[in-house]
This record gives sequence, structure tokens and C-alpha cells, in this order.
Amino acid sequence: MLKYIAKRFLLMIPTLLGVAILTFFLLRIVPGDVVEARFIAAGQGQFVDRALMDMERAKLGLDQPMWKQFVAWMWGLVRLDLGLSMWTGAPITEEIKLRLALSLQLAIMATVVATLLAIPLGVVAALKQDTWIDYAVRVFSIAGLAMPSFWLGILMILGFLIIFKWLPPMVYTPFWVDPWENLAQLIWPALAVGYRYSAVATRMTRSAMLEVLREDYIRTARAKGLWLKLILVRHALKNAMLPVVTVIALEFAFLLGGLVVTEQVFNLNGIGMLFVEAIARRDYTLTQALVLLTASTFIVVNFLMDVMYAWLDPRIRYR
Amino acid sequence: MRRVTTLFALVLVAALAVPATAQEKPRHGGELVFPVPSEPPSYDGHREETFGLIHPFAPFYNTLLRVDPNDPSGTKPVPSLAESWTIAKDGLTYTFKLRRGVKFHDGSEMTSKDVKASYDKIISPPAGVGSTRQGQYAVVEAVEAPDPYTVRFRLKWPSGAFLTSLASPWNFIYKADILAKDMHWYEKNIMGTGPFIFVEHVRGSHVVGKKNPTYWDKGKPYLDGFRALFVRDTAAQVSLIRGERAHIQFRGFAPKDRDNLKAALGDKITVQESPWDCILLVAINHEKKPFDDKRVRRALTLALDRYEGSKALSQIAIVKEVAGVVVPGTPFATPPDELAKLAGYWRDITKSREEAKRLLREAGVPDGFSFTFKNRGIPMPYEPLAVWLIDQWRQIGLNVKHEVVESAAYFGQVVRPGNFEAAMDFQCGYIVEPDLDLYKFVSRDKNPANYSRYTDRTLDELYDKQSRAGDPEERKKLVRQFEKRLLDEEAHYLMTLQWHRIIPHSAKVKGWQVTPSHYLNNTLDVVWLAD
Repeated sequence: MLKYIAKRFLLMIPTLLGVAILTFFLLRIVPGDVVEARFIAAGQGQFVDRALMDMERAKLGLDQPMWKQFVAWMWGLVRLDLGLSMWTGAPITEEIKLRLALSLQLAIMATVVATLLAIPLGVVAALKQDTWIDYAVRVFSIAGLAMPSFWLGILMILGFLIIFKWLPPMVYTPFWVDPWENLAQLIWPALAVGYRYSAVATRMTRSAMLEVLREDYIRTARAKGLWLKLILVRHALKNAMLPVVTVIALEFAFLLGGLVVTEQVFNLNGIGMLFVEAIARRDYTLTQALVLLTASTFIVVNFLMDVMYAWLDPRIRYR
Repeated sequence: MRRVTTLFALVLVAALAVPATAQEKPRHGGELVFPVPSEPPSYDGHREETFGLIHPFAPFYNTLLRVDPNDPSGTKPVPSLAESWTIAKDGLTYTFKLRRGVKFHDGSEMTSKDVKASYDKIISPPAGVGSTRQGQYAVVEAVEAPDPYTVRFRLKWPSGAFLTSLASPWNFIYKADILAKDMHWYEKNIMGTGPFIFVEHVRGSHVVGKKNPTYWDKGKPYLDGFRALFVRDTAAQVSLIRGERAHIQFRGFAPKDRDNLKAALGDKITVQESPWDCILLVAINHEKKPFDDKRVRRALTLALDRYEGSKALSQIAIVKEVAGVVVPGTPFATPPDELAKLAGYWRDITKSREEAKRLLREAGVPDGFSFTFKNRGIPMPYEPLAVWLIDQWRQIGLNVKHEVVESAAYFGQVVRPGNFEAAMDFQCGYIVEPDLDLYKFVSRDKNPANYSRYTDRTLDELYDKQSRAGDPEERKKLVRQFEKRLLDEEAHYLMTLQWHRIIPHSAKVKGWQVTPSHYLNNTLDVVWLAD
């Protein structure tokens, strides 16, 4: 197992390198640059002296040949230095640190919401297959799949405003500063995102449970007169959880980079919003770092998933 | 009896009048909360371009002069750090007397050396220091500080625009000692003489300012502080106002947002509207046939029914006023009657379109002629205006294809290299001043941002003349001549409709006057909150 873990860690390096190379060059193919975005898009920019724009480009090293820029960036990465944001001039680690806590908290909260909804609903639907309960759960999950979470978020905000004349707080308060304020702000996007997320997991739980419940060992256990609850928790659920864990873990990884629209709707200052800003501003260094972060999240989640598989199903062992 | 009745009436009038007057008396206290849709890269007003800097950071600073915060035209320079000024008879020397006892937030006194150091940085920045509006001060020969409370600007030639240019909201007065040590200090730090003291900026989230208790303008500011919230999404900004979690957004909302807010909150909302010193223009590439022919360009402008367009578009987009090159309602603007004499502004649209068709025929442009109109990928108001333009051109037999290009790539890919036949361009000013409004249209070798790519020495000459004209009436005449040549005789560029600024804000916000520029009137010293 340890050998396997070490091997997987080493494999991360070429994967990340590939991501880094692709991101760096693809970004530079996109027309426009950070200086252009800064001076032209803002307003009076069309009157800005070209010499000033050239000076700003030189300051950011954008006047250098592309390979030189790439080498400089890679050299920074080797030293674990992500560099400075081209827009703010602040260290990228600081820019990301500010936003990561929020997105991570939201992603975790959405995952909790999704898991709390999906597993009981999926299990009940499987146990009561083809009854009205099963149909209700299926309708609930299909509606969740069909409804974009940002749309649900907008509905929530409008609903609160119109019915209760209340609006969730729109300026982020960290949990350790004021837990109630923090939860009042994040619970609604967590519900909006978590609902959609749960729809996928509910369907997966239901079908996995149905499959497991048909297995011989379950039938045997029931024939032996084993208590149903025990059969479900000890035998069925644990085995049915494998694909569910996969779905939950992958969705979690998607969430970190994919909260873009929901963050906009609830004005959450997270990684998703930062991503959009970085791309719109052509902040190459920040975008590169964020792509690497997202890629790393997927790699780590995949890795953890494999470990979890091994734990859940002892038949799975890696050499 | 009559005397008693009269007395009663007088008492009643007085009783009604007193609360009304009392209500209008500024009240101290409260925190003004406002969303800002954009965030600045740095804090340096001399270097940045975005209202994302001005809205949350202007309250920390003062400028030498400012635009009168109560003037709806937003054009009248009034004292700020300068108490008074004199202009030499030859128009070449401007001398400003500074207020005494003005303190920076660190407690040190502001003197003429701070003003000189700030303007030296703006006008002649040392290598490696960015000054975005340096070109606006090409007229300045030298800035001098003969004594601690006097600043003198010596000009190379007389300028009709110079005084207004000193009221630019970007020209924050910085501390000379700090600049002497580090010219880049103000990019990452804040320290001015303004009515509010910087408390914090949490990137992506908010900026907080608290009242400056030793502000030089006694009794001001009225607010205890302000909180600027960075909110990109328009729906979220509107929700904040509607949910009464924010008081005002200083840039502007669309007509439907105004209507929704008014419907939801009724008397709790006050709406202020103004022409906006922003306009979308149609650049016509003079290097492409048949657009090198002025008859074709004139036909394009004659096809536009600006008056009817205004009625329809102002209901769905942030455009309204029919205008020439200067914002309507400001001193150098063309009166409607005169404007109606220019091609494309005639009241009789049938006559205009007949003339347009005749010109196209004369220029040999076949009926159904096709060309592509390139547009910048910004939905409001670029999209509705483009749809309107294309429809108008169809009515004179032209077949126009609409091509939208992503915003950040637009200038580099389309307009600057001249990769278009007709394209949307824009002009958005921070102060209404003919020098700024007209500069866009001088010949290409003088201003590379002339995307219609023409050379017109007559226009250049008129520009210089109006810029140096000391007498406002004389200057107005020259501006009119410039406008006639630009829009009518040569039709180098087409104006669409002037943007329209709509600020629906909490009725509690008092003392704030909308102006034609969203860059102006953000110092917040005169703003107060009613109970």
C-alpha cells in the first residue's frame, strides 16, 4: 500500500507538469493581456499613452520572449513560488489563501447537505422500489439534476426578499469571527449547491443499493433471519457505498473549481469568483496557479478515493 | 376673528415649515453602505483608470480643486485644498492659495510641497512610474511652490481647459516626504487628507473608512463612516439595495432595475438620473472601401432615427440623450435646435433616409450591399444599440452582419489593427471638458485611439484653437465648428445615443447629487443619512 502511495505521488509530477505547460501556452494564445484589460477596458484607457502600456508590460516581463517567461515561471514553481499576481502585484499564495477558506467551507457544507440527503433517500427508495416513495425520491432527484444551482440560489434570494423582506448577508464573515453570521451566509448557497449535488448521489445510492440487495449474501442473511437494520448497515450499505463515494468525491473536486456562478449570485468571494476575475483580467500568473490548484485537487481527490476504496472493499488491494 | 385666523394660519405654516427645514438639515452619524462592481489593481489614483478605485478610495483623499458636488452638470471647478486662485492676464500663470491647517491622516501638515510633488508625479513621472493622465498636462511648463501655502503652475500656452483639468477626481494629493522615499508607496498604501480615514480593505470583499475627526472642513463629514462592498453581479447589487442592506450604487442601474426597485420599495427609493459622459460610437474604417467615400459615411449617419431610437431604447438600455460631441446639459453642449441641423440629427427621418439612399446610389453602392459590424462583447448597452443600428441601416437597403468579439480581445484584435469595416467604439469621460471629449477625433497620427483611421488637419487645427481659446463663447463656436466637420461634413465617426445614468438609491441618502460622470462626486464629505 505504501509503495502504491509513493508511486501515485510521483505520478502527480508529470501530470501537473503537463497541466502547467498546457495552461501557460494556451493562455498566451488568447488575445489581449493584463495591461490591455487594465487600461483599455476600464474607461479612459483609449487615451492612454502607448509608452506607458509598454512600460507596464516590461515591468511584468511580458516583453520577454515566451520561452523566457515560461522558464522563469517554472523556476518559481520548482522553488514552490507561485509568483505575484499581475493584476494586484500581491503574492499569489496570499490571493488564493484569502479565497480558498470560503470555497472549501462551502464545498464541505454542500457535500454534507448532499450526503445527508442522498444516502437516506437513496436507501429508502431502493427498499421501497416502485412504490410512491420511490417515485417521489426519483422526482426529487431528477428535479435537482434539471435545476441549475445558481437558478435555485436566485429563487432563494428573491423568495427571502419578497416573502420575509430578508436577504442573506452578502459580505463574507469567517466562521471564527462570527459563526452565526457565517452560517447565515453560507447555508443557502450550500443548500442550493448541495441539492443538485445530492440528486446525482441519490440516484447512485438507489441503484447501488438495489444491486447489492439482490446479491446472494443479502438473501442468505435475510433467510437466516438476521435483523434488517443490521443487514442494511453492516452488509448492504457498506458495499453499496463504493460507487457513491466515487460520485461524492468527484463532485467535491468539481465544486472547488465550479462554484463560479453560485458564488456570483450570493456574492461569495471564493475561488470560483477569483477564477473568473483572473481570466477576465488576463492575470496569467494567477490563472496558471488556479488551474494548477484545481488539477491538484482532482489528483488528490482521486488518490484519496483509491485509498477509501481499499478500505471499503478489502478485495481491492494495490501492489 | 380674522386676526385669530391669520395668526392660526401663520402658526400652522410655521409648524409645517419647521420640521421640513429640520429634515433637510444634515444629520451626523451612520455608515453609508454601497456596492462597487469593480475592484482596482492598486490604490494609486495617478496610475489607475477604473471607477473601482474612485468609488471606494476617493473619500480618503482631497484634490487641489474639485467639481462642485452640488452642480448637476458636473463641470464647475470649486476650491478644495486650494482656497482661491488667480490667473495671470496672459493666461500663462495660475497661482493657488492653499488652505492652512490641513492635516494628513498621520497628523503632519499638508503644504505646497505636497501639491508640487503630487503634480510632478502626474505630469513628469520618473522612469518606471506610471501616470495615466500625463498627456492631459502637456501644457504645463513647471509647477512651483514659492511658499508653503502657494502653488504656481506655469503654462507653455494659454489653455481653456486647464482649470477644469485640476478638478480631476484622480489627482489625489499625496505626501511629498513619502513620494521622495518611494514613488510606488501609494500603489499599496493609503494616506491622504480626505474626510475619511482608511480602516481596511479585504480584497474581493470590502473597504471600510471611518470619519476623520480632524477634517479641515469643520463639521464634515456627516457620516461616521462608509463601507464599500465589492459585488460584481448586477442582480446581487440590486438585491442589496432592495433588501436595504446597501444604500446606493454610484455607477448606475438599468431602467428595469430602477422600475423594479421603485415598485418594491416605493417611497423608500429616490431616483436620480442624468445624461452620462459615456457614449458608444461607430468607427468607420476609412481605409476600407466603400467607407473611404464620405457620401457612404454620411448615408450611414443619415439612416439613424436617433429621436425615435431614444424613445424605444431608453426603456430597455442605459442610453437616452441625442447628443453631439459634448454631453447635453453641460456648458459646451450643442443646443437641440442647432444639433437638428447636422446630418443624422434632422427631425424629418424620411427626408434623411431618402438623402441617404441617394448618396449610396451616387457613390455606386448597390442596393442590398453587405458589410459586417463588429461589436464588443458587453451586453449592456452594446448589444441593444448594435441591434438598433443594424435595423436602421437595413432601412436604407444595407445588409449588415453583427459579429461580437470578446471584450478584452476587442481593442487588440479588432479596432486597433483596423480589422473591421464598421465597429463599435466608446468614449467615457471622468469630467466633461471639450479637450477630453474632442481629443478622440483628431487625426490618427496625433491620437492612435482614432479608430476610424483618418487624417484631417482641419479638425486638428480646430482642436488646438478651441483648446487655447480663453473666452468660453469663442470656444463654444470652435467646438460647434469641430462638431459640424466631424459629424456632418465628413461623417468621420457616428455618434449613437448618450448613455443615461440611473441611480435609484435609498431615500435616506441625502446631500448626494448625480452628475454626468460616475467618476465624480465620490468624496462623500457632503453626504448624510436621514433617520
